[in-house]
Amino acid sequence: MRERKSVKFNFELQQHQNGHFPPFKVEKLFDPAAAWDKDQLGDVLHWIRQALALVCGLLWGAIPLVGGIWFLLFLLLSSGIIYAYYALVLKIDEEDFGGHGALLQDGLFASISLFLLVWILNADMFSLENTRFYFSVYFPSNCDFPHSNW
Amino acid sequence: MSSTLFSSMKYSDSLTVVGISICTAIVCEAISWLLIYRTSSYKSLKSTIDKASKKLETMKTTDPSTATLVKKSKTKKIDRVESSLKESSRDLSMFKFKSGGVVALVLFVVFGLLNSLFEGKPVAKIPFVPIKLVQKMSHRGLSGDDMTDCSMAFLYFLCSISIRTNLQKFLGFSPPRGAAGAGLFPMPDPKSN
Repeated sequence: MRERKSVKFNFELQQHQNGHFPPFKVEKLFDPAAAWDKDQLGDVLHWIRQALALVCGLLWGAIPLVGGIWFLLFLLLSSGIIYAYYALVLKIDEEDFGGHGALLQDGLFASISLFLLVWILNADMFSLENTRFYFSVYFPSNCDFPHSNW
Repeated sequence: MSSTLFSSMKYSDSLTVVGISICTAIVCEAISWLLIYRTSSYKSLKSTIDKASKKLETMKTTDPSTATLVKKSKTKKIDRVESSLKESSRDLSMFKFKSGGVVALVLFVVFGLLNSLFEGKPVAKIPFVPIKLVQKMSHRGLSGDDMTDCSMAFLYFLCSISIRTNLQKFLGFSPPRGAAGAGLFPMPDPKSN
């Protein structure tokens, strides 16, 4: 299976050298038999990481989760999902794409920044102080909320 | 009512920083497109680098069980392609550097403006205590011992990396994968900054 994918990978590489780019289809994202170009796969992994960063940032901030451990959890979770995607869903031979390091690093730094940004903004939005303000606007009498101190 | 609501939120400044970062990113990419990306020199250099890196990949992934003589000539070919790739990458960097001065000026002005607006003022709260190295930026210019206070510089840094990298990727302006400098932490294209 891996030999067949390597042959397919080399064929696609030659096609790209000649300037032929097969159109990208959504079904390819879940097809373990599909052959991938390095750039296409890199782009897909990059955007998956950004989506994970956005979702985790929104979730972590909305709960809100506080503490450095949740940052580490995000790193493990996003890397784990990326690995599971290319190794188990796509069944990629990582040697054809520069190894696990190259695949896992695609979009990593941008996703860390995006996650931190969204987490910080969302946590501020949902902080108890802001919730207290909103509550007091609509229910002006006798509301008592504990202050949020990280 | 809505202005009171907005101004009363303790960290509404963070939204201002993000908003300005988004506008700056769009303006910078527009300038980069005008001065760099639409030129024929850039397009031809990028195409050269793409072709060379793909050629290099093909040469490196072919059957390893070849005769020694064929292997030696293959190694020489690979070296030639690699040095041509490095040369093209260097030319691309030089080309972008010359045109990137305008973008750098815009970024400098925007950072100065933000600094004058938010100096010494925390614009957000970080939901964890950052490591000492990060605190130098996250607590830059702020008084007090609360290391979860976030300075404008750190928030702007996060915005720059996340928004500009993704915008460049979305618009197709990110540097070719074969070009030098796309390491573990690829930053938004520095020569267009």
